[in-house]
Amino acid sequence: MQPTRLSFHDEIKKNIFSTYLLIGIILVTLLALTYAIAFTIGGDYFFIILIIGIPISIAYIVFGFYNSHKIAIKSANAKPATGPQYRQYHNTVEGLCLASGLPKPRLYIMNNQQINAFASGRDPQHAVIAVTQGALDKLSKQELEGVLAHELSHIANYDIRFMTLTAVLVGMIAIISEIFLRSLFFSSITGSRDRESSNGVMMIIGIALAILAPIIVALVQLAISRKREYAADSSAVKFMRTPTGLIGALKKINGNSEMKMSGAVAPLFIAKPNRKKEWFSTHPPLAERIKRLEKM
Amino acid sequence: MIIWISATLAIIIAITFLIYYNRFVTLSHQIDNALSQIDVQLRKRADLIPNLLSAVKGYMKHERAAIKEVTDARKAMMSAKGTEKKMKAGNQMQEALKSIFAIAEGYPDLKANTNFLQLQQELSAIEDKVAYARQFYNDGIMTYNVMTHKVPGIWFASIYGFKPKEYLKIPEAAKAVPKVEF
Repeated sequence: MQPTRLSFHDEIKKNIFSTYLLIGIILVTLLALTYAIAFTIGGDYFFIILIIGIPISIAYIVFGFYNSHKIAIKSANAKPATGPQYRQYHNTVEGLCLASGLPKPRLYIMNNQQINAFASGRDPQHAVIAVTQGALDKLSKQELEGVLAHELSHIANYDIRFMTLTAVLVGMIAIISEIFLRSLFFSSITGSRDRESSNGVMMIIGIALAILAPIIVALVQLAISRKREYAADSSAVKFMRTPTGLIGALKKINGNSEMKMSGAVAPLFIAKPNRKKEWFSTHPPLAERIKRLEKM
Repeated sequence: MIIWISATLAIIIAITFLIYYNRFVTLSHQIDNALSQIDVQLRKRADLIPNLLSAVKGYMKHERAAIKEVTDARKAMMSAKGTEKKMKAGNQMQEALKSIFAIAEGYPDLKANTNFLQLQQELSAIEDKVAYARQFYNDGIMTYNVMTHKVPGIWFASIYGFKPKEYLKIPEAAKAVPKVEF
């Protein structure tokens, strides 16, 4: 049997397709949840929640969307990379930008001895990349280039915008479920209720959905995040025309110990900062990523 | 009924014509832009040459030939007109710099000079950038050429007069496989 070599173009297409599928699942969950809430609560309550909820959630989305990169930089405690010691870092990114046709993102440094990096921002014009001091010290020129190509791919594939939007959506579903469950609890205490038994079944479904929806979408978000990592690895190879650098970097990262980082920014990093079980993980296992890269 | 159908068809056909025309124009502009990116890097490199020569001069008094080669390459670069000549001058410069850096290996004092080291780092970064810019240019050409050869792009290309473009060639020396001797 002939060994099939994965072309990076196919990889990117495959990943983009499954990402759309996953976004579809999130949207369907959101619709089902709203429908169930509308059915169970009915009448006045629903509109009150809508009137209060819509402006708040719009403000939340807009704020999160326009400030995502600032929030990420702040919470990772990253400093702008200025000075002659970062010349190579800048040169490497400039070269990769020429290869990808992207504008140069702003570059930051995290004072940490682990090897890691992340990209953020709403579009390529407002993108930022941050790497740890450890990555600059421990990686060879080609390996650093591989890591930076991976981060630039997140920018080129609009993952940075996408991850911000899913994070906001997932947060919104969590908030809606919370409000729903609390208002149910509240109305059952005040106890003015004359409903028929058919509504009781719907209410149980509604409650079940409200409890399950945040968990489902969180798992879906993590699955999307893992898919996007594979896509970014493929595009990094497209920019560099060789997977060697990235493979070397991932092997070195494999020896990393844990890095303390808040859960919200974890999906942005090149390798997951915290060790968790596969299903609850923002990143695919490094061994699997290396295996796929070696096939290219 | 028939009027409506033919009107819709006419609109769809008109839009298709517009879309294809715009695609060809956008791609052509992208390719021109990629070419000017290569040019920018080649110029940056040429601008660094006087600094390099003044850093090297004190140490490499007897390497006139190598130094002359670099100066000539710079002159050729500055006066080059047209893509092909510019690329040729760029390749000439790359070769000349290679021999300067190879010779520098024999001068420990020069290799310890921070000014020289910085220039060397900067010039090798520019070489990487030139390579990446070429890659991006050729990627653009590929997308463009695929469109001018595929159906229905090939029809529109012949209607609008968009011709396939030439890829940038890799310099002969860079293509040669290094000889390994035991």
